[in-house]
Amino acid sequence: MNDDLALVERFLRGRGEEAFRALYRAHTAALYALALRLTGGDRGEAEDLVQESWVRALTALQTFRAQSALRSWLCGVLINVRRGRMRADWRIVDTPDVEAVADATDGDDAIDLERAIAALPDGARDVYVLHDVHGYTHREIADLLGIVEGTSKSQLNRARYLLRSSLV
Amino acid sequence: MTNLPRERQPDSALEERIVSTLVAAGLVRRRRVWPFWAAAIAAVILIAIGGTVLRPKASPPPGNMYALLLYEDSAWTAAPAGHSDERLTEMRRWGDSLSRAGEFERAGRLIGPGPAGGLFIIRAADDAHAERIAASCPFHKWGGRVVLKRFEP
Repeated sequence: MNDDLALVERFLRGRGEEAFRALYRAHTAALYALALRLTGGDRGEAEDLVQESWVRALTALQTFRAQSALRSWLCGVLINVRRGRMRADWRIVDTPDVEAVADATDGDDAIDLERAIAALPDGARDVYVLHDVHGYTHREIADLLGIVEGTSKSQLNRARYLLRSSLV
Repeated sequence: MTNLPRERQPDSALEERIVSTLVAAGLVRRRRVWPFWAAAIAAVILIAIGGTVLRPKASPPPGNMYALLLYEDSAWTAAPAGHSDERLTEMRRWGDSLSRAGEFERAGRLIGPGPAGGLFIIRAADDAHAERIAASCPFHKWGGRVVLKRFEP
């Protein structure tokens, strides 16, 4: 975290390309992993999300404070970028579908789980990925997604139920 | 918690795309050209000019013109602190050998988009000759990428 703060301060001093690249290389793999899961494995969409997230993050970087980890803050930016995009995209419909999740599995445990996560309905997938893959607490998820903690918990239960149903 | 990876490396081209976007948006300042390039290119040009003045230039082989594109991309490793002069010396020797053989034509630096780098225009008898010249460039040793292209002036 101290390293992150040093990187942020170095970047803010001159907004130099090298300083940005250091930030990029420290955190983009995590942002991309999150983006890939939130988009159900769509690489193009995940790359666009990461790009827009860096644009937003650099616009607001001076508001970053060391009380939170930079990576969590950046992931929060990415989640908000995605939420903004989903609101703008009328085609995205949250349809829970046990069969869709079950159809996504084919035998290899890790690949099955990734596919099953990709097939989860958006709300349940967001909470599951943040909580069970990236280690966020329900309180943090509630703040990030603008929901109450109870909703985060119920979405997690729903996601786990759908995954269990598909993977047994 | 599941055991799934929490990091995934995106395609390496994404970094350049994002840097270009941020530069265009005024959020990042493009770095100054690394002095290595300026110095190395200046050294090679100086040697070439000196060569033509001080000694009869070897008659250029009747061949083709090639562009050698030298990129500092992801595998590139910068010189350890205090060792950049050694690289400069190697580049100078390489440039001198091209000049003596009448193979050197021009040099310049590459300006974005994409990774920083340099451009050398060389003359070679044929593709195999040009490939030997490209392979002799010390830039390879430092993780740089060297791309060879024949062109018609």
